[in-house]
Amino acid sequence: MIKRFTFNKFIVYLLLTIAAVISLLPLYWVFSTSLQLSSYQDEDMERPVSYVNSTPPKMYPVGITEYFEHWRKARNAEKEGDSEQAAYHREIMDEIVTDTFSGFRRLFTQNSMGAWFFNSVYISVVVTIGILLFDSMAGYVLAKKKFPGRDVIFWLIISTMMIPGQVTLVPMFIMVRELGLMDTHWALIFPDLSMVFGVFLMRQFMFSIPDELIEAAKIDGASEWKTYWKVVLPLARPGLAALGIFTFMNVWNSFLWPIIVLNTAELYTLPVGLKTLQDANLADFKLLMSGAAIAAIPMIIIFIIFQRHFVKGLTLGGVKE
Amino acid sequence: MEVSRGKNTSEWLKRTGKSIRKNYAAYLFLLPKLIFFTLFVAIPVVWAFVLSFQEYRVTESNTWIWLENYKEVFASAAFRQALLNTTIYTAVTVPFNVITALIAATLIHSLGRMAQNFFRAAFYLPTVTSMVIIAMVWRWMYNYEFGLFNYVIGWFGLEPVNWLGQTSTALWAIIMMQMLIPFGVGIILYMAAMSSISDTLYEAATIDGANAFQKWIRITIPMLTPTTIYLTLLSTIGSFQVFTQIILMTGGGPGYATETLVHLIYKTGFRDFEFGLAAAQSVVLFFIILVISVLQYRALNRNN
Amino acid sequence: MGQKLKGYGFLLLTLVLAVVLAACSDDEDGANGEDGEWTGTITIWDGPRWAQAGDTSGEDGEGNKYFWIEEKIEEFEAEHPGVEIELVQVPWAELPDKLGVNIAGGSWPDIAPVDISGSAVSIDHIEQGVIEPLDDYFTEEELADFYDNALEAYTYDGKLYGIPNSLTVHAMLLNLDLFEEAGVDPPENGQWTWEEFVDAAESLTFDRDGDGEIDVYGFSTYILPGYYEAWPFFYINGGQPLSDDLTEFTFDSPEAIEAIQALADLKLEKDAAPTSMGGADVGGTFQAWASEEQRTVAMEPWATWAITSAQTDYPTNFMVAEYPTGFTGEPVTIGGVGGWTMFQQESEAKKDVVAEFMKYISDTDEQFLMSQEYGIFPARISAAEMDPFADNPEMARAQEMSEHVVMLPRHPEWKKIDEIIQRELQLVFNGEKTAEEAMATAKPEVEALLE
Repeated sequence: MIKRFTFNKFIVYLLLTIAAVISLLPLYWVFSTSLQLSSYQDEDMERPVSYVNSTPPKMYPVGITEYFEHWRKARNAEKEGDSEQAAYHREIMDEIVTDTFSGFRRLFTQNSMGAWFFNSVYISVVVTIGILLFDSMAGYVLAKKKFPGRDVIFWLIISTMMIPGQVTLVPMFIMVRELGLMDTHWALIFPDLSMVFGVFLMRQFMFSIPDELIEAAKIDGASEWKTYWKVVLPLARPGLAALGIFTFMNVWNSFLWPIIVLNTAELYTLPVGLKTLQDANLADFKLLMSGAAIAAIPMIIIFIIFQRHFVKGLTLGGVKE
Repeated sequence: MEVSRGKNTSEWLKRTGKSIRKNYAAYLFLLPKLIFFTLFVAIPVVWAFVLSFQEYRVTESNTWIWLENYKEVFASAAFRQALLNTTIYTAVTVPFNVITALIAATLIHSLGRMAQNFFRAAFYLPTVTSMVIIAMVWRWMYNYEFGLFNYVIGWFGLEPVNWLGQTSTALWAIIMMQMLIPFGVGIILYMAAMSSISDTLYEAATIDGANAFQKWIRITIPMLTPTTIYLTLLSTIGSFQVFTQIILMTGGGPGYATETLVHLIYKTGFRDFEFGLAAAQSVVLFFIILVISVLQYRALNRNN
Repeated sequence: MGQKLKGYGFLLLTLVLAVVLAACSDDEDGANGEDGEWTGTITIWDGPRWAQAGDTSGEDGEGNKYFWIEEKIEEFEAEHPGVEIELVQVPWAELPDKLGVNIAGGSWPDIAPVDISGSAVSIDHIEQGVIEPLDDYFTEEELADFYDNALEAYTYDGKLYGIPNSLTVHAMLLNLDLFEEAGVDPPENGQWTWEEFVDAAESLTFDRDGDGEIDVYGFSTYILPGYYEAWPFFYINGGQPLSDDLTEFTFDSPEAIEAIQALADLKLEKDAAPTSMGGADVGGTFQAWASEEQRTVAMEPWATWAITSAQTDYPTNFMVAEYPTGFTGEPVTIGGVGGWTMFQQESEAKKDVVAEFMKYISDTDEQFLMSQEYGIFPARISAAEMDPFADNPEMARAQEMSEHVVMLPRHPEWKKIDEIIQRELQLVFNGEKTAEEAMATAKPEVEALLE
């Protein structure tokens, strides 16, 4: 590959690094605040001090340095044989640890964070599997079969991609109510399974599968289902991976619809839980950031592991015709 | 299609019928998706239009009031303010984000593989985290007394700003937040598109004595036009639907300073439960998005 | 010929259909027992109230705050075999929104606690028959035991749409430690004039550590649709939002404008309130007064729950005071009425049982108990006469204030009117508009809704 442009490397790195810091700062702030000491009785202060609400703000979880300082003092005291002083510092170390993680503890004890997390995982997984299966089935026949009405069906589905989701908000609410699904997880899963983007994506992808392979399977006497399951699906794996990741991410992060149809705290998904958490604890930023951290971690991990597929999925669904 | 050449209607019908029977497996493959599509997309879309002409009642059947909802939509000061706010928000953030994505992609593209991967990840990571999380932490960073921003601007000797609490700054605070969240999708798509531009173009330009900037303007940008169109449409549609930040950070206030179209639809539908009016508002939103998309497509595509 | 579709595919499709259908089927309940007495399931919503003394169960050690209603359900079920009462636990903060969604969703409970002046249930719902009238279940004599204003709150078009069980008021909470630190005397008996209040607020605004920055402010509150802590201040000169016959917007009267501007000027002109005053941050405002780590505001107006909170969760050395008096010289506050409402019933037989249970949980003894344990004022005169606040002077003082309560206007479009007014008020407290300009903007919008 030839050099197209020559820039000053230093300036490029400088600019990009500044941009990257700005980009990642909010996430850092989520984690930093979630682990900040919230109500800590410092030795020289009369009142407990909140390092979360402090001016100037503490740029990192103060508990870390406090912990090591007391650890150092405890060790010195032990060396000098002052066991009382050592025990005192050990006790403070325990307090620091408890306080540092108190946001997370309160989420699980006083709020239903465990249930929210489980609901999010389970709904995202169910929808992802359903989407992968149904959309690949639909995409396969739309790309590879000729039958009356095919084009009509395809264009009908595709044309709704242009319609913003809010248009169907109210009718979908009434629909869900008429079906008796209010305040159930089905009210999230079924509408999610109707997302059409995957059909479009899978159809595009299926075009790249050679017809000969499908014909060969047929000649071997495989049924339609077997051809799809044994020949088409394995070949579509890269497309499925990309679609799967995006579906999972969309469902995991979806917000507007779940806050409308879910009522029972035990049924909430993480984003809904976070909203009610904020409504009830507007000013308790340690608690709020702890919740945000728990919701952010799985997507960050998934992104780091499957980064390649994210890029692939974006370019697949993007401009290429 | 095989059906179009029938000599007469009955033969056409016969053939079609036969073809349908022959291909019944294909229909079965489509069936699951079609069930959900019909129930939760097709019917609701049609229904939205019907509802927009009705007044919804909880315990009785709806009454037809035809254009009354639409009249109310356009007469409402809140709707006009929401439309204005949403338009300002879109007009500022979309061009800014698309252009910065282009610049960032160009810069990243000039680096080695390792550095490329690192920066791409750094800029895409905020995109995978939910807007709920991002909005929550930005609300915290904008906090008047204890927030990070008022501390940072203090370095420059500025007085603390009540970012989300006053009309003069609230919408701009939301806009600034959107501008500072990197447009990860844009960066990745631009980078992918840049890789597919042929090197020979650049070689030719280099021989002609063009400098880096001239090459960027004359080759890179025109070759990226399809990506630019796609990204502009995508983020415009997204911008017009801005909601999560609003409900979590300002609730549309102070006054109507940060009211947006979708937040207004949400409030009308699911706080006031005026389903007919909400449906009318969402139909209007749909047409606004449609018109703007078509205009943008035409404008950006003209040069090609 | 097409290929045979093998088992898997069909299995899958059947499964999809089965799941869709199964999830959509509804189960019905309700039947009549042999002796004609209705049997079946009644659904009731309730929020957390108080835990039994000494109960430290639950993961946060606060005990089961639903035990009272659970106990009542058990007793009632024992007396009525075949009747099952299902309790749905809903946190108070979420209750109005959820109830709203469930009403729109047609899936309302049979009974729910509703502050009728709140936003969940509207007059529109009453007109549509979502709420059942309860007149048939009370004799004149029984009704006479309720305070008039409590009954009035639940009466629409001459019919009673709920059983009042509690009154709440808004009151000023004063942090006495900060009063002492600033050397300010708290008002005697909690009564004061506007001028005395302003003096106190200014003296209570001070720089504790001499770094040139204000550490403690005299006063703060917030402005948000649906919340009325600041509103009594706007009434003190005789102003009110709507005319008595609900046909005219009257917050643009000189009395109201002057009062609104005066409160805003406490921050804008006199700097006796923090910048965040008049914002929408409910939690932050309360924390600034109550949280041990902050305590940066000396006086804030709150609803009754805050008194209980400052006596338990946020132990604070405080007193309850009235809102200051203005030109009228009369103390004034805004109050709310809580109670139980019954939602649309399909059969008269069930309605009877539901009503019986509602009466069962709101009789004199229960209201007395609730006042003592839960910090609300009884809506029954007989319960109030049992003197539930004998050893809680702060609650007792707040209860005295309920004599000066004004209720919010009861207009079907109140929620929207409220939003228009409150949003304009936010601008006034930001100093972006004068009270006069803001109310002039609100007037045509509100009056369009009054027609």
